[in-house]
Amino acid sequence: METKNRGDLLINGFGSSNGGSFHAVTINGKGTVIGDVECSELDCNGSGSITGDVVVNQARINGHGKINGNMECQVLSVEGAAGVTGNLRVEMLKVSGKAKVGGKIKGDEIKIKGRLTVGEDCEAESFRAESQFSIGGLLNADLIDITLFADCDAKEIGGQTILIKQKNSLLGIFKSFVRTQLKTECIEGDKIEIENTKAGMVRGNQVVIGANCEIEVVEYSGEFTMDKNSIVKDIRKI
Amino acid sequence: MSNKNKDGDFTSVTVLCYIIVMKGVFTMSEELISKKDLLDEAGISYGQLYRWKRKDLIPEEWFIRKSTFTGQETFFPKRKILDRINKIQQMKENLSLDELADMFSPNIADLLLEKDELVKRNIVSTTVLDYYLEIEKGGLTFNFSRLLEVYVLEKLLQSGEINLEEGKMLLQVLVDNKALIKQKKAELVITRKLGVSSCLLLINTENFHFERSTKIVAQLSLMACMEEIKSKLV
Repeated sequence: METKNRGDLLINGFGSSNGGSFHAVTINGKGTVIGDVECSELDCNGSGSITGDVVVNQARINGHGKINGNMECQVLSVEGAAGVTGNLRVEMLKVSGKAKVGGKIKGDEIKIKGRLTVGEDCEAESFRAESQFSIGGLLNADLIDITLFADCDAKEIGGQTILIKQKNSLLGIFKSFVRTQLKTECIEGDKIEIENTKAGMVRGNQVVIGANCEIEVVEYSGEFTMDKNSIVKDIRKI
Repeated sequence: MSNKNKDGDFTSVTVLCYIIVMKGVFTMSEELISKKDLLDEAGISYGQLYRWKRKDLIPEEWFIRKSTFTGQETFFPKRKILDRINKIQQMKENLSLDELADMFSPNIADLLLEKDELVKRNIVSTTVLDYYLEIEKGGLTFNFSRLLEVYVLEKLLQSGEINLEEGKMLLQVLVDNKALIKQKKAELVITRKLGVSSCLLLINTENFHFERSTKIVAQLSLMACMEEIKSKLV
């Protein structure tokens, strides 16, 4: 993308603009952009909204950013609240605040420390979350590493290595009162280690069921171990 | 299905059929395989299957959800998926997954090949190529959709299933429906009845049936043709 010779779009305070091709787009304050945007840097501090599809190299959303359309970017970091109504295609996604995507996420590396809501599928090579999340479709990644901070749910989870663990609580007493749980219909992977999970079906090669799980059926082909605090209704070796 | 033109000989009428079927619905005639059995049979792991799905090597439509007594299960069209996995396993030695994905996806946008290149790569013979250019009257540079047209023509003419006149008719159908062919799962069917032939382009079709006296001369999946071309180009 040749962006060096393009102009910048800068909105300080209240302002609105049409879309177009820019080098950098910066919104400080309350800015509205109507139309498709293509740029190499997008910076949103304050409250920004873009109605249209966005193609960008690097995007940072520090305040409140909303995109009514699809977004495609290399690096997206969210430190406030971000919303994309369409699909998000991203190589590296870091969320330290809150992100909501109406459609699908297709990415390489996803790191969440906060809250993530996805309407449809979420695909990545690695998905690391220390957070709360809700995924309407399939969570599909080579490595899924989840530390539960609050109730999470995904329709299905599939991948190679799937690790789900409970957050280590400093105040051990409260742990028994507030129990967080991940709910899903089905987990399928080669190596599965889960805690605090409620699932209909767990299928894998190496399956380790940790504490506080409620599972209808486990099917495994290699090894299987289970914590005594978990309930599994049916265990099948294939 | 036939009309008389001015010269008094018979030409056939081209029929174009659209039968739109819901995505992901397959008839019972297609044998299905459950995910578990598939992993067993193909000797792959969940990790691989999900990775290939992520890379779009396995189309979304092939994941068919059905409820069984154990809850929801995913099924695949058996023949297609085994075929595809076979191909992936053969080629992943030499190609990266991204390159493979390009091969399986039906849209190669910016491909341009010269006429000589096509002959050299053994995609089309010179005879067929000249015949194609004579009818189509285009330039010597081929983009993917023209490449597909000439390849289909080559395939059917070389196998002797159709004659030159039918080839002309076939080209007309392909040229008129360029845009459709690229995006959808298209199939080409050539039939003959009482010596009159006709050509149908079926988009996203499930099944079709003719009356008994109609003979299906050739049936060709354009998707498969695209893949064949791509594998020749790599």
